[in-house]
Amino acid sequence: MTALLELEEVRCGYGPTSVLHGVSLSVPDGGIVSLLGANGAGKTTTLRAITGGVPWTGEIRFAGQSLRHKPTEDIVRGGIAHVPEGRGILTELTVDENLRLGEHTRKDRAGVRKDYDRVFEYFPVLRERRKLSASTLSGGEQQMLAVGRALLMSPRLMLLDEPSLGLAPIVVRSIFEIIRTINEADHVAVLLVEQNARLALEISTQAYVLEVGRIAVHGASADLKGNDSVRRSYLGY
Amino acid sequence: MQEFIQQVVSGIASGGIFASLALALVLIYNAMGLVNFAQGEMAMFATFIAYTLISHGVNYFIAFPLTLGLAFIGGVLIERAVIRPVERAPVLTLVIVTLGLATLINGAAGFLFGYTPNYFSSPFSAHTVNILGAFASYQDLSVIAVSGIVLVAIYLLLQRTTLGLTLRAAAHHPEASRLLGVRVSWMLALGWGLASAVGAVSGIMVAPILLLEPNMMQTIIIYAFAAAVLGGIDSPLGAVVGGLIVGVTVNLVGAYVVGGDLELAVALAIIIGVLVIKPNGLFGRAAARNV
Repeated sequence: MTALLELEEVRCGYGPTSVLHGVSLSVPDGGIVSLLGANGAGKTTTLRAITGGVPWTGEIRFAGQSLRHKPTEDIVRGGIAHVPEGRGILTELTVDENLRLGEHTRKDRAGVRKDYDRVFEYFPVLRERRKLSASTLSGGEQQMLAVGRALLMSPRLMLLDEPSLGLAPIVVRSIFEIIRTINEADHVAVLLVEQNARLALEISTQAYVLEVGRIAVHGASADLKGNDSVRRSYLGY
Repeated sequence: MQEFIQQVVSGIASGGIFASLALALVLIYNAMGLVNFAQGEMAMFATFIAYTLISHGVNYFIAFPLTLGLAFIGGVLIERAVIRPVERAPVLTLVIVTLGLATLINGAAGFLFGYTPNYFSSPFSAHTVNILGAFASYQDLSVIAVSGIVLVAIYLLLQRTTLGLTLRAAAHHPEASRLLGVRVSWMLALGWGLASAVGAVSGIMVAPILLLEPNMMQTIIIYAFAAAVLGGIDSPLGAVVGGLIVGVTVNLVGAYVVGGDLELAVALAIIIGVLVIKPNGLFGRAAARNV
């Protein structure tokens, strides 16, 4: 498999504070890669660098094209759906309006209709709540809305920032099942940032562990899961 | 009773004018959390453009939409040229910039068009029509109709179109909207363009009642502030309702209680009263802040 997304020696920070000290990683086309690490290790910052939310040096390539100096709007229109920390739900708008924002840049109306069917098949609750304000959704439903909206962007790559945060285990299970389905059925690659390492290693094929702005460990998810010392030192379970 | 109804009707007409300008204020406030102190001057300048077109023989009903189009373009250009460079600056900086803009536009209008008041004729006669025993002038009725059409058009644009959806999204959640491919910076410029056009409606409507000169909008903007604050500064619907309430209240209190000279004081009393008693206005969202 060829790399869909590649980061080479990416450094960045907020003002004088440096957060990433040279991060290199790659996501294969159609693969699921998890990015693990403690709070403050730089996981969210890595995702924000990819979609142009923070200035960076080094190199980031998506589908062979450098993302340097590209504005966020163009990067996401180019096929990267980023579900940010806190889910990025527009709570002043209805569920339907949130979904429409996901597909508003697309021209293929037939494809959009098919994707709506798919989203409502994965998350039937969203169809029931279409007319309601997104602020009335529970945390799990908001996460479903965020993932469904990302799917409507028809992306080649999804960046998911802690989809399990604050959700009941059973809800997390079902959302992860659907992430796996989206990956397999819709051939969408996923870069998954998670604190819940056990779950992330189950769903992903490759994993990276970030430690204060550097990649400390990289390998096949199955190997990391089986490696006791890695597990104890970095993954905390 | 008849006179009372007539006062209410002409209050609604003034209210429509205030509502248009208040809506312009709300559009920009929503987009960037900023009260645009230049809104009235922008409307005044647009009215001079309409006046110039009409006095060069252009039909009123062509000059009107043409002016709104030009006002829209002017609003976009002002945002690109003046606001964009300070987009990320603190609000106080932006406020000072809009105050400077107000002075600049006022001076430019004086320089280009002079300070002599101009009579701006309306195609609608001041004759009255008898509606159920009360008399209303065609002019008041036309102001109500035009304001109503503009406000409904803006409502439909914001609520029923994809462009309106992205405008609202960009206004409420710029970061999240950017991640969905919304061109937030352009949405700000479009917001300025829309506000400028809506504000121009108020200028063109009020010019036949007052006289057209560079300081024409300086009292109107106070009424518009009162309307916007009363409605809740971030609510388009609130701006419309607030405009109508302010228009009718000021007219009635002016006619029956304090007299015409103190009408502006009534508007200021409304502003202060709302800020003290109900700072979020009638339709505003409670301001939440993380501490």
